[in-house]
Amino acid sequence: MNKKVRRSLNTVLLNILAILLIVYIIGPFVWMAAASIQGENELLKKPPNLIPENPTLDNYNYVFTGKIPTAYEVKGQIRSRISQEARLIGPAVKNSFIVAISVMTINLFFGTPAAYAFARLRFRFKNPSYSFILASRLMPAMAIAIPYYVIIRTFHLLDTYLSLIMVNSVITLPFTIWFLTMYISNIPREMEDAGLVDGCTPFQALTRIVVPMMAPGLVAAGAFAFMTSYNEFLFARFLTQTIDTQTGPVIIASIAGNPDVSYSLISVCVTLGLIPPLILAISMRKWLTEGLSASVTYH
Amino acid sequence: MGKANDVQFERASARIWDRLYPYLSILPAFIIIALFTVYPFVYAVRISFFQNILTKPRSHPFIGLQNYEEVISSYYFRNALSVTALYAFAVVLGVLIFGLGVAMLLNSNIRLANPLKIIILLPWAIPTVVAGLMWKWILNSDFGILNGILYSFGLISSYIPFLANPTLAKLSLVMAHIWKEGPLAAIFFLAGLQLIPKELYEAAKIDGGGGWRLFRYITLPLLRPITLIVIVYETMTAILVFDLIYVMTGGGPADSTALLSWFAYAEIFKSLNLGHGVALAIIIALITLVLILMYLRLLKTEEINT
Repeated sequence: MNKKVRRSLNTVLLNILAILLIVYIIGPFVWMAAASIQGENELLKKPPNLIPENPTLDNYNYVFTGKIPTAYEVKGQIRSRISQEARLIGPAVKNSFIVAISVMTINLFFGTPAAYAFARLRFRFKNPSYSFILASRLMPAMAIAIPYYVIIRTFHLLDTYLSLIMVNSVITLPFTIWFLTMYISNIPREMEDAGLVDGCTPFQALTRIVVPMMAPGLVAAGAFAFMTSYNEFLFARFLTQTIDTQTGPVIIASIAGNPDVSYSLISVCVTLGLIPPLILAISMRKWLTEGLSASVTYH
Repeated sequence: MGKANDVQFERASARIWDRLYPYLSILPAFIIIALFTVYPFVYAVRISFFQNILTKPRSHPFIGLQNYEEVISSYYFRNALSVTALYAFAVVLGVLIFGLGVAMLLNSNIRLANPLKIIILLPWAIPTVVAGLMWKWILNSDFGILNGILYSFGLISSYIPFLANPTLAKLSLVMAHIWKEGPLAAIFFLAGLQLIPKELYEAAKIDGGGGWRLFRYITLPLLRPITLIVIVYETMTAILVFDLIYVMTGGGPADSTALLSWFAYAEIFKSLNLGHGVALAIIIALITLVLILMYLRLLKTEEINT
């Protein structure tokens, strides 16, 4: 009996812990979304409402169409808090998407053959070049950000997609190559060997036999590359200057840096900017979790 | 005759292709990576030996190690070093406890483990600047929701300026950092927990082991390799943290959150001294390098022991 009571007490305790944890993890997201559908005057109340009293889509409407929310027309003072910059979030998310999708494509296109070579083929300088690629990832971004800026400026490539795509590819490729090399090493060799005996070239063995078998690994690697470049801030902050290339994180940080910014409009920008990575994280959860787990348990 | 020649030629060229193929397949990735890490790094080392003040664009005299000397002997460096060490210690400890605790919850058979598994990756998936921004608003001293909640429940009588007090600002940063980085550690530990054979626990239970003893003598020792990985990875993340400070505190109040990487940024963009900033960045790179070497050694002795 005593044991039973203790066990159920344990379960209750664990559940309470789990609830606290859930609040801690999704609380900030929920509050951002809740703040984005409230008027500024309600948010600045002491204390603010946890559940919006007069939910409104006016803030979203402003970001998309430029129509000033009615909540701001009440008090002239608050009206000045509307920052035009908030309307840039749409183009910024578009820029992030263009960069992230290009980086993902480059990663899969160049990373897969490299990983295949490292996992299966024998050639000179294999180990040193593999170690070099992995070690390059350990270079702190801060140490190369300034020289990188100077180089990009010399080539007149500041404020171009190309410079962002390049730097994000450099950041993501080492992980992609390492991850896919591990993935391929864990695929049984028999099918490929049979193909090679039948006269396949290594490239044909890769594209016709290995690639179809490693599809889940490619999905995970692609998702990692996409997310890393979608979220990258330091380099994007240095290399972009106008809304032609400024990415989501850069614009969001810049809007927030304005001391007079409207709290509800920031919430709209954050909410909109977070939709893509959150959808990706939830829909690809299985692959991402497996990929991350593999990265500490495979050898 | 001609046909045989053709076949021979084809075979020879096929052989050359097979020989070249591995190099061709790694070449594009290798070149992109080499070009954009080696060259910028060499360039950075070069800049660090010259005086390079952005307000004096025409004079860049060679000054040897003077940038390093000036940076290291400054008050700010000592401050940044101790703040970084304290921050790294707090964050690594926090992430370890959070990660292991959450992993054990996820691995348990309570009903809430499944929804937790769905949301646990969310903080990891978003940009760090945005995470910092969300926490900054939550902690705001005039209309932040955390103050609002504490106030409504009567836990505080007036709003607390979380980010304007040196100690609270550090704690706030650590808490936001754990929120952002803890989930990854949780996934790592969960992967480790799932590798531990269930029979081990069953055998230990037959021998009369209780909950704490199982944890102490089975779970912890078997998680050692993963714990090491998490410690090193998190130490590096903590030393290189920049985005969070950039949005949450800007190094303040009174330099209480000016970590090394923030100091490097401030030297370049606030003091406009490129030479100082780059010298600092290289010092940071060296510190991380030393840590990584220590880690590799630890892992090696680990492998020998097991």
